[in-house]
Amino acid sequence: MSMWRFIIRRSTEIVIIMFVIATLTFVLFRAMPSDPAGIMLDPMRTPEKVEIQRKLWGLDKSYTEQYFIFMKNLLHGEFGKSYHLGEGKDVYDIIKEKLPPTILLFTSTTIVAFSVGMYMGRLIAWRRGGKLEYGSTVVGMFCFSMPGFWIGLLIIWVFSFRLGLFPLGGMKTADLWMDEASVSIFLKALDILYHLFLPLTVGVIISFPGIMLMMKNVMLETLGEDYITTARAKGLPEKKIRDHHAARNVMLPMVTVFTLSLVGSLGGSMITETIFGWPGLGAEFLRAAMNYDYPVAQGAFIIMGALLLVAILITEILYAFLDPRVRY
Amino acid sequence: MSPQVYEKKTQWQKRMEKIKEIWRLFRETKVGLMGIGILIFFVVMAAASFIPPRIDEMYIPLYGVDQDIFTVTPPSLQHLLGTDSLGRDVFSQLLEGAKWALLIGVTAAVCSVVLSTVVGLVSGYYGGVVDTLLQRTADVVMTLPGFPLIVIVGSLLRGISIWNIVVLISILGWPGASKVIRSQVLSLRERPFIESARVSGASSFRIVFRHIAPNILPLSFLYMTFGVTSAILAEASLSFIGLGDPTTVSWGMMLQWCYRSGFLFQAPFWVLPPGLCITLLALSFYLIGVGTEQIINPRLRKR
Repeated sequence: MSMWRFIIRRSTEIVIIMFVIATLTFVLFRAMPSDPAGIMLDPMRTPEKVEIQRKLWGLDKSYTEQYFIFMKNLLHGEFGKSYHLGEGKDVYDIIKEKLPPTILLFTSTTIVAFSVGMYMGRLIAWRRGGKLEYGSTVVGMFCFSMPGFWIGLLIIWVFSFRLGLFPLGGMKTADLWMDEASVSIFLKALDILYHLFLPLTVGVIISFPGIMLMMKNVMLETLGEDYITTARAKGLPEKKIRDHHAARNVMLPMVTVFTLSLVGSLGGSMITETIFGWPGLGAEFLRAAMNYDYPVAQGAFIIMGALLLVAILITEILYAFLDPRVRY
Repeated sequence: MSPQVYEKKTQWQKRMEKIKEIWRLFRETKVGLMGIGILIFFVVMAAASFIPPRIDEMYIPLYGVDQDIFTVTPPSLQHLLGTDSLGRDVFSQLLEGAKWALLIGVTAAVCSVVLSTVVGLVSGYYGGVVDTLLQRTADVVMTLPGFPLIVIVGSLLRGISIWNIVVLISILGWPGASKVIRSQVLSLRERPFIESARVSGASSFRIVFRHIAPNILPLSFLYMTFGVTSAILAEASLSFIGLGDPTTVSWGMMLQWCYRSGFLFQAPFWVLPPGLCITLLALSFYLIGVGTEQIINPRLRKR
């Protein structure tokens, strides 16, 4: 019962934050000095033409009116049309096309990074003072301080360009997908995995150290608790103390760290997608923002915000199932 | 000598002793010392950035061009790290980058941590409606997709200056530290020395900023060092995707020029140094932070 209350409360909060994000987007796009009607039209534009265009986009209405229209359109999934891609492609279609690759990359990176980070953190906190701790802490700190795009470029250089082990970019091998029917699903999945490997590796390299080092710290603090001493005094096997008494109690603060790291890795994944030519929403967002394609940038931004919030919500609900303390 | 002067001197001596004690603990952590070592290296680099342009005009980082070279050349005696695609000296750009990275990183982190300290103090000490409001705001800011947001602002402003980046990074970066500081204030508030300050008639303002704040400062410093790391990385990413200030030679900018000009896979002397510098400078502040953390939280120290 209390589980449902928890889910409802958190969902309401998430909806409120989503509302804040949407409002913020509206305000940002209207408060900024650039007039979309001026950008879109040709340099030979006349004031009359600009006026017609403004009317077409509803820019002549009052801000309150525009705000309600904006919100109504959002709820209907209408994000307007792109300024650039061909003859004004629908933003909704762009998002529909680009979202699945992003979700694939984002979730796989998160899951792998978090598993590796948690495992390593637990291990090095336990074997404190050893060579393993020293080595992985140094490597972890170094990776933590690396700019993601730089290590991404180096990895492409070494593994794709020099060694030719992996593709230079993209998500699919064009030849293989030319004739859709003849290729088995298994082969297609394998092809995507093959393309996924390097971006995934880069994502993991930049996000696992933070989780590992945090896990180590929280674990070390827990190991100082009285109940660990009690468990030792009872003569329990070390492995049991580590996995059952220490690691489980560490999970609660780690969930907070996890949700925060999601926010960071979303930003990172945009750049990873761009340099690997991954056909995702993050790369599309960056492209649109850099080319002043505002409808696409706006739609992608809102959807990415929503994706982030959903990911946070899922994590919290999953965790609340496992740990009753979360539900208060 | 009046008694007041004497009084002041002992207080000053006390402070010196305390600083010495902190320095002793800090030295023992080794990581912190290593961080300071790397940091000194970059401070020297930043200070040296003024020298090359004085030697010859072609060493001016942004527009100094070697008259004989108009393209990428490998390292030589004249150009220690070679030249970029326009014939500009990579080494003097690297020195210039150190100056900007330090400036941006430290300013952004200081602004952000001042914000989080004030919010944490006010929120923790006053509680009630103020606390709820500030904390809800912090929750929202924390879950905002920060990097995409900066990109959008940059795109709408059609390019973004260094100081705008600093402001945006600090506005988006304060909540995490403010939560930790708030919880620390909550526990400090109940201590006897605060109670006695209140009984002796100190105003709330004085209690917060005179009695509680000094106890919070180590924590603020800790979050500042971590803040520098993330600010440096954020600025590098923004410059790399092309949202940087085109009039500033930062390391992210150098990488962007390299990426754009298509020499990525041919000029290791151009790609490696800026990235390595970003990593090491970010690392140095992180290490100083880890050292500080071990002083603040003895449980993390070596057994």
